[in-house]
Amino acid sequence: MKHGIKNNVYNYFIKIGRWVLCAIVSFIILFPVYWIFISSITPPGDLFKTPIDYFPNNPTLDSYIFLVENVGLLSKIWSTVVIVGLTIIISTLICVMGAYGFARFKSKGINAAFAFIIATMLIPEVVTARPLYEFMQKVKLFDTYPGLIILYISAITPFTILVLRNFVTDIPLSLEEAGAIDGASFTQRLFLIVLPLMRPAIATVCIINFITCLNNFFTPLYYANNIQVLSVSIVQLPLRNNMYGMPWDLVSAMGWIILFPIIIFVAIFEQQIMDGIMAGGIKA
Amino acid sequence: MKEKDLKRFIPWILILPVLLLRSFTTIYPIFKTIYNSFFDIRVLSGVDEFTGFGNYINIFKDDKTLATFEFTGIFVVVSMFFHIILGVILGLILNMEFKGRRFLRTIVLIPWAMPAVVTGMAAKWAFNNDYGLVNDFIRWFNPDFQLSWLIHKNTARIAVIIMDLWKDLPFFAILILSGLQFISNEIYEAARVDGASGLKSFFHITLPLMLKNILMLCIPFTLWRLTTFDLVYSMTSGGPGEDTSLIAYRISMEAFTNLNIGFAAALAVFLFIIMAVFSAVNLKLMNKLED
Repeated sequence: MKHGIKNNVYNYFIKIGRWVLCAIVSFIILFPVYWIFISSITPPGDLFKTPIDYFPNNPTLDSYIFLVENVGLLSKIWSTVVIVGLTIIISTLICVMGAYGFARFKSKGINAAFAFIIATMLIPEVVTARPLYEFMQKVKLFDTYPGLIILYISAITPFTILVLRNFVTDIPLSLEEAGAIDGASFTQRLFLIVLPLMRPAIATVCIINFITCLNNFFTPLYYANNIQVLSVSIVQLPLRNNMYGMPWDLVSAMGWIILFPIIIFVAIFEQQIMDGIMAGGIKA
Repeated sequence: MKEKDLKRFIPWILILPVLLLRSFTTIYPIFKTIYNSFFDIRVLSGVDEFTGFGNYINIFKDDKTLATFEFTGIFVVVSMFFHIILGVILGLILNMEFKGRRFLRTIVLIPWAMPAVVTGMAAKWAFNNDYGLVNDFIRWFNPDFQLSWLIHKNTARIAVIIMDLWKDLPFFAILILSGLQFISNEIYEAARVDGASGLKSFFHITLPLMLKNILMLCIPFTLWRLTTFDLVYSMTSGGPGEDTSLIAYRISMEAFTNLNIGFAAALAVFLFIIMAVFSAVNLKLMNKLED
């Protein structure tokens, strides 16, 4: 009997300990995010208050309105949507083809090409940046949507190929052979048999690539001037009457505009993102 | 065309777009960078002449660059050390069986999913002495606390490393978690039958089995530390002085701001060699460990 109580107390402490750990981790992550949010709806003058007011008395959308009216927020959102959207669509198309080719056909050349694409993951952007920048200017792709989209697609290609190829490899070949016996042509087999089976993998890859593209900062920073996506515009915001060298009012509002959809997205697709990270193991 | 010939062509047609794309964005620029590294190209002063290994020698004579190396070394080692320690702990927390598990896993994805520039810009303000979040939090416990984190060398470095950990540790922990899930429960059952306590089975079963996973994760995570750019660009701009400047940041500044293109190329090649050597040594080590 005494032993039973001791065990119960022990279990109770374990249970509490787990929730305490959970609370600490959540606090460290969520508190700064919350702080960005409340800063964005605080009147700019009140940002210079100590201690920080964690429940603003006069919430205002002033900073957001300023972003829309004076910084061209809507056109930046539109550029981001166009670039990221087209990147996802085109990259999925060519990577599904590529992944199928790499998974189903084996020869020395094909294997070498696959190794090459995976190995290029190692090459940091800064190493290729300057020559690529000059090249993009020469072929008139600098600061254009097609140019940016090409570079965005290129950035996510190795990861996408890796995950999709591994997935196709796991689809039994017998399914396609059965199709071939029934007289299905090569394209029919690819589109009617393999593609539907790949749907979960494609969804996972698209979700992760969406986040990777939104996060892309280096490419739009150095390969564009006039086309501004959200990640770049946050470092180029104008100062309003602010002597501290940094427009925290506008930065927090812009930050929240970027963060809000990402948080919603993560909450909805938590499972797929986890699967994707574990399948690829590597963020491109 | 015969069926056999067709079969040889189909895979190449399928992989052609991705292959072309990756070649176009990597092969030509890499060779051009290597080529440029042997020339003294300074656009602002109109210099463009062959110097052989001059740029490479200058890397080790330039104080700014040496400071960059110093911080890059500190940044990689310290950040990786805490990645491993705290990452394993966070991975174990994420692996706990309890009701808040899904919630916690979702929360942990937020820092990973947000752009590093947003983290960096927010951190710039958060580490401000008067109005920042960090000091405000410290003042809950110590009301007289004053510190301008980003204008002193050591505290600026600490702040950058803290932000790097905040942003990237969750991702490391998720990958640790995925490794943990491959360890079957039967081993733990067997250990419990043999009378091993929870702590004992952690050190004798979990940790050794995780070790290979951890080592493997260290390769990409170290490479990402070596090429960190966004965070420093947005948070400190390498300052104060060059105290928080990382190699990748320095290369971009030389290539795009100072237009010292030959030097930037040499530094880029140097970085690439470090990364290649590091990866090769690590892979060798891993293979040895496997035997």
